[in-house]
Amino acid sequence: MKTRYFLLLAMIGMVACGKKPVVPDPQLGSRGTVEVTAKLLEVPEGAIIQRDLYDYATVLKYEVTEVHRGDVQRGAVIHVGHYNPWKPRAEAADRKVKDVGGTLRRFRADERHRMALEPGMDEHYLGGIVDKYFGKRDGDVFWAVWTNPAE
Amino acid sequence: MAGTSLKFGRGVAAIAAVVVVIGAGVVGAEDREALAAEVRGLGWIVFSARTSGGEWDLHVMRPDGSGVRNLTKTPGSNEAYPLFSRDGRRLLFRRLGRGETISGNDYGVQGVPVVANSDGSSEKVLGGEGELPWASWSPDGKEFACLALKGVTFVDAATGKVTRVLKRSGFFQQLTWSPDGEWLSGVSNAFGSGWSVARMHVKTGDVNGVSLTDNCTPDWFPDGGRMIFSNRHASDVALGKTGWTQLWMAGADGKNARLVYAEDGRHIYGGHVSPDGKYVVFTGNPQEDGDPANGGAPMGLMRVADAPIIGGDSALLRKEHPGAKRGPVLVLPKGWEPCWTYHEIAFTK
Repeated sequence: MKTRYFLLLAMIGMVACGKKPVVPDPQLGSRGTVEVTAKLLEVPEGAIIQRDLYDYATVLKYEVTEVHRGDVQRGAVIHVGHYNPWKPRAEAADRKVKDVGGTLRRFRADERHRMALEPGMDEHYLGGIVDKYFGKRDGDVFWAVWTNPAE
Repeated sequence: MAGTSLKFGRGVAAIAAVVVVIGAGVVGAEDREALAAEVRGLGWIVFSARTSGGEWDLHVMRPDGSGVRNLTKTPGSNEAYPLFSRDGRRLLFRRLGRGETISGNDYGVQGVPVVANSDGSSEKVLGGEGELPWASWSPDGKEFACLALKGVTFVDAATGKVTRVLKRSGFFQQLTWSPDGEWLSGVSNAFGSGWSVARMHVKTGDVNGVSLTDNCTPDWFPDGGRMIFSNRHASDVALGKTGWTQLWMAGADGKNARLVYAEDGRHIYGGHVSPDGKYVVFTGNPQEDGDPANGGAPMGLMRVADAPIIGGDSALLRKEHPGAKRGPVLVLPKGWEPCWTYHEIAFTK
């Protein structure tokens, strides 16, 4: 009850200051076990190509700028697998990979994304992977469940 | 150069029982006729092909393309991915809805798994939609190896019970159990290039890459020591082209890779070695995915000892492989994912 009260106050405060209230995407809060805002550091050449006949996931490199949920450190460099990255996130899910989505339309370097993630991409995805960081990265690859542009 | 190409997909009747024998240059008609005569009595090849009614049914033919028979005749459904047991007595395949397009990525998990006698009689559905994914016979026919997100499972063929699970170690499609029983082949994403052909030891789960970049449809030579697979060759990509998929073979340790068949204008997939390792049958498709939404393309058959063979004009390929032959290659009916047994099928259906 108290939480609702404070949220209401915050929204009233923002309206009073002339700012639109930002309503968090409930998909981000309810999917995955990790939720971060992170800056896409680069899009390596050949990492995102349109392949109509072959579904694949690509591994992209991010710097975490904010941690909303889960065991990740702010400032950490993480690698995230995105399914069929040439498609807008809202159109990426298919019969084989049902549980991905978001509002991001295109991956561009230096932009920040708010993402719901699962650790251990191999436990969530069965298919071809384009990994330009193979042999160069440490640690696990996260699986992107939901990807929105950061507000 | 007319006549040098296999002419896959050009005016060949869907299930023509006529053998078209092709080749040119140094390949004489006697060579091609000799090859046809050599393989004619060597058992049967099963394959999936579209009928005049529009559905995909399983068919068998003699290895020279004669004696084509429709095994399934199911106007209401499609059948795909037929696999003879190693003794040739049984047949495992997938049955899909009539409206479902066979997918080059997923044909091993589409529809329901069905087992039958090798003439198509005594069918038995083994599970529901998507069950026994990428199932491949053990050499003795008593088990299936299957591949799913959670791992490689070994399933008792009689009871359907899972007897053992291995980590899949990046394997994600096209699992095949070696004839010697020691290994599984598959396509893996564990080597950084997305579509690597690899092998996995059935007891330890140890994995090694065989061909690392842009490969698919791996299969075994009978000794279990060599593999055949499709490869999008790097030199084509370096030339700024998408490249045509070629048929290659290598030791299962990845050594001694060499070209088997290539042709500019055709993607060569589905390489399957005869039970004695002397011949190989394959598909050759102008469309990258084998064109399952349409009719596919004619299959080809050649001697392994004649490799490498280059079809068509393929000028750059010939520069790259100056010693390659022009044939002989038999053009067989249109088909997809052929599988060969030397077992003599007794047709009761």
